[in-house]
Amino acid sequence: MKDYSEHSPDATVPVHLTLNGEPVSVDVTPNAILLDVLREQLQLGGTKKGCDHGQCGACTVHVDGIAMNSCLRLAVMCEGQEVTTIEGLAEADGRLHPVQQAFLERDAYQCGYCTPGQIMSATAMLDDERIASDDAAVREAMSGNICRCGAYRNILAAIQDARQQMQGADPARSDLASEVRS
Amino acid sequence: MNEMTDPTVIGQRTPRVDGEYKLTGRAGYTGELHVEDMLYGYPVPATIAHGVLTSLDVDAARGMPGVVDILHHRRVPKLYRSPNSMGHGDQVSEIRLPFEDERIHYHGQYVALVVAETFDQARAAAHAVVARYRQEDDARPSLLLTDAEGDLLEEEGDSRGDPDAAFERAAVTLDETYCIEAESHLQMEMHATLAEWRGKRLIVHESTQGVVYQRNALARTFDLPQEDVEVISHYIGSGFGNKLFMWPHAIATAAAAQLVGRPVKTVLPRQQDMLTAGNRPASRQRIRLGAERDGTLTSIRHDSTTETSTVDRYVDSCGGATPSAYACDNVAISQRILPVNHGTPCPMRAPGEVSGVYALEAAIDELAIALAMDPVELRLHNYAQHDPQSGLPWSSKQLDKCLRSAADRFGWSQRDPGIGAMRDGDEIIGYGMASATWSAGRQPCEARVELRADGSVFAACGTQDIGTGTYTIVAQTAAELTGVPVERVDVKLGESSLPAGPLSGGSMTTATTLPAVAAAVRDAVDALKEIVTKPEGAFAGVDPDALQVRDGGLASEDKHISFAELLAMHDVASVNGKGQAAPGGEQEEYSFRSFGAHFVEVRWDPGISRLRVSRVVSSIDVGRAINPLAARNQVEGAIVMGIGMGILEKLEYDPRDARLMNSNASDYRVAVHADMPEVVDVELLDYPDFRFNEFGARGIGEIGLTGVGPAIANAVHHATGKRFRTLPITVDKLVEALG
Repeated sequence: MKDYSEHSPDATVPVHLTLNGEPVSVDVTPNAILLDVLREQLQLGGTKKGCDHGQCGACTVHVDGIAMNSCLRLAVMCEGQEVTTIEGLAEADGRLHPVQQAFLERDAYQCGYCTPGQIMSATAMLDDERIASDDAAVREAMSGNICRCGAYRNILAAIQDARQQMQGADPARSDLASEVRS
Repeated sequence: MNEMTDPTVIGQRTPRVDGEYKLTGRAGYTGELHVEDMLYGYPVPATIAHGVLTSLDVDAARGMPGVVDILHHRRVPKLYRSPNSMGHGDQVSEIRLPFEDERIHYHGQYVALVVAETFDQARAAAHAVVARYRQEDDARPSLLLTDAEGDLLEEEGDSRGDPDAAFERAAVTLDETYCIEAESHLQMEMHATLAEWRGKRLIVHESTQGVVYQRNALARTFDLPQEDVEVISHYIGSGFGNKLFMWPHAIATAAAAQLVGRPVKTVLPRQQDMLTAGNRPASRQRIRLGAERDGTLTSIRHDSTTETSTVDRYVDSCGGATPSAYACDNVAISQRILPVNHGTPCPMRAPGEVSGVYALEAAIDELAIALAMDPVELRLHNYAQHDPQSGLPWSSKQLDKCLRSAADRFGWSQRDPGIGAMRDGDEIIGYGMASATWSAGRQPCEARVELRADGSVFAACGTQDIGTGTYTIVAQTAAELTGVPVERVDVKLGESSLPAGPLSGGSMTTATTLPAVAAAVRDAVDALKEIVTKPEGAFAGVDPDALQVRDGGLASEDKHISFAELLAMHDVASVNGKGQAAPGGEQEEYSFRSFGAHFVEVRWDPGISRLRVSRVVSSIDVGRAINPLAARNQVEGAIVMGIGMGILEKLEYDPRDARLMNSNASDYRVAVHADMPEVVDVELLDYPDFRFNEFGARGIGEIGLTGVGPAIANAVHHATGKRFRTLPITVDKLVEALG
């Protein structure tokens, strides 16, 4: 990270990052927040603002593969880094990421506003070997992402489905969300 | 003939048709929209809750980089108050206009709106505005921190029989008061407005549950012909009631756009959203019950008081469900409101009734204990076979089946009713249950449908999808009635210029919208039949009534031709159908209500002072679920919100000055993934209510929330022996009561 401590707060500085696989240069003020730069300057609205204080998880993105609250990160901190947002998760041909596909099938959302953050946290979590695969561990790991619609049960089922899918097995219809009483 | 007795698309689990947009970040919620030359608005909130703005210094802020203008009480275009009428569709959430005067009524009330080139610049300048106040010392911080009675609302009261005399005569009586702290909707997407003037026309993108209402209210506020205002809301990050009606930020933003002659976008910061854009008001409810020794209820009195603000009169009518709840001859309800120094309250999921059901169902549990009766049996003993309030039969009521089925699946018969009698290791287990109910309402509605030569169907209605799945059920309806696949139906909602549709509220959207869509489909089919049965038509000479709609086309006895082919054959791009539907004579013949039952297991670990909800088993009777996939999700989500109401959620106002102390998503606690019970088992009974509408659906947004709070409170009593009569039952209360 560069040292911007002597920089005027009103002037902008260029930041070079890899955004969803593409090189991007953007001029930002030193105190510009990554979330605001994504949403307003780069007009990538998929990353949501729910609190601006790192409390709700709606703004979760991957920075060098690690899930982060983009509302708690200065854009200038991303110099030379790889940033992935929800817009960069599906395949180039439009095929959904297994987590996205599982969210669709399990109805793991309602209003959809926390959904990008849930999905970005879930995809990072599934890659994180420190986090166990049982339901309780997933619930604990995902607890930084609030879903006020309360679709937690379906989100958990979707994550576990996607885990199976990504491991090459058939989606396990765990007892959690499989019964259909309608 | 009822086409909906054996549907093939309606009633099927259907992934959301808007799902891919939400899952890939392309949905386009209001706050992330951009238009050319757009500026950013950022409100300056009052830092006191009660007093007067004595000075406002905007000079320093005005000179900051990028600042274009600053609105405040001395610099605002002429605005008018909305007539604020439900009947005329111009209801607003807060009747006071922004910047009307220097009086401060609540913490967070806007004293200015900064308009700047970028979001960062607007926020920085908003922080540089210097407001000085004279705080007055008689702020009213909360209903629950005062003994004040509030104003009795005669029109909200109701009674039958002689409940006072019956209470005096009753063998067993109960007289208790139940309270619920104020709650925040905390919808994930904050309120947002993007306002743009094109000449004298005003175009507003708003995150709203009611584009038509906001269009009408904006027309009144800016003295415009309704036709010159357009309100658009394609995706809404939910609302739970606080986006039903227009708030002052939308007026301020449109006024700013008018003043500076450029589009302005304002997204409320979370803190301001919680301060200014609605809350469920705190409630205090006194319940008096009288009963015979055998459990027969002889008297129910339900007297409620809820908060309103000092600038509006919001009534959260708690007693609405009570007169119809039990077969009891003597019932009275009353309602009072008390103005407090909060932002104006507004409907929040199952408004009023969820609070009333809590008080009543907790009281019924207490009565069951006093009578040494099983609480399920007590409810069945007083079962209302018809609506005791209207005297009408129910259109369909399966509450008894809900109670029995949920009890069965829960294992209620294994309950040891002794206090703290059930243990699992260090945890004490408590069982509790309660009934759920919500009125089934329906409004007039219009819709429009096109059959198109490309084989698709287009359906439009001026309602909204706030996450409940309205896009999908409209597509299912058009697919069901045309035989065109769901994925070939394009649905347009959320624009005030579309045929007038309902608010997304009150669990009325499904029953209101689908019959109008169905009528429009049939009208479009008739338009096509008219063309194809002409002498030169593909079905020349065939009686239009003999043509059947099947598999996306029309069929006579000897041939089937798709809509696409038919339209192409006649060189027609599309046919148009208009539909309208409204409640009718059935409203005079039946009472309409949804019902349910929640059974809850809590676990109390006294060693580490932890209370959690570990199991919820529910049966819900809402008629037919149009899309069971999304419908179950609604109930499960409502249960999560009910856990919040039961043990977590509380807006905390400073008792000294009425300032809100926890206006953020961390200090205001809602359920997160880790709070989920291990088991949430929701059953949707399938008893289509064809007396209500041809789809048999009664709506499902609210009912799942009702009854969860009392079921939890009743379970906590079973586990601990303590009867907590104020929600939420937080750990600090448990520790204080139980040591």
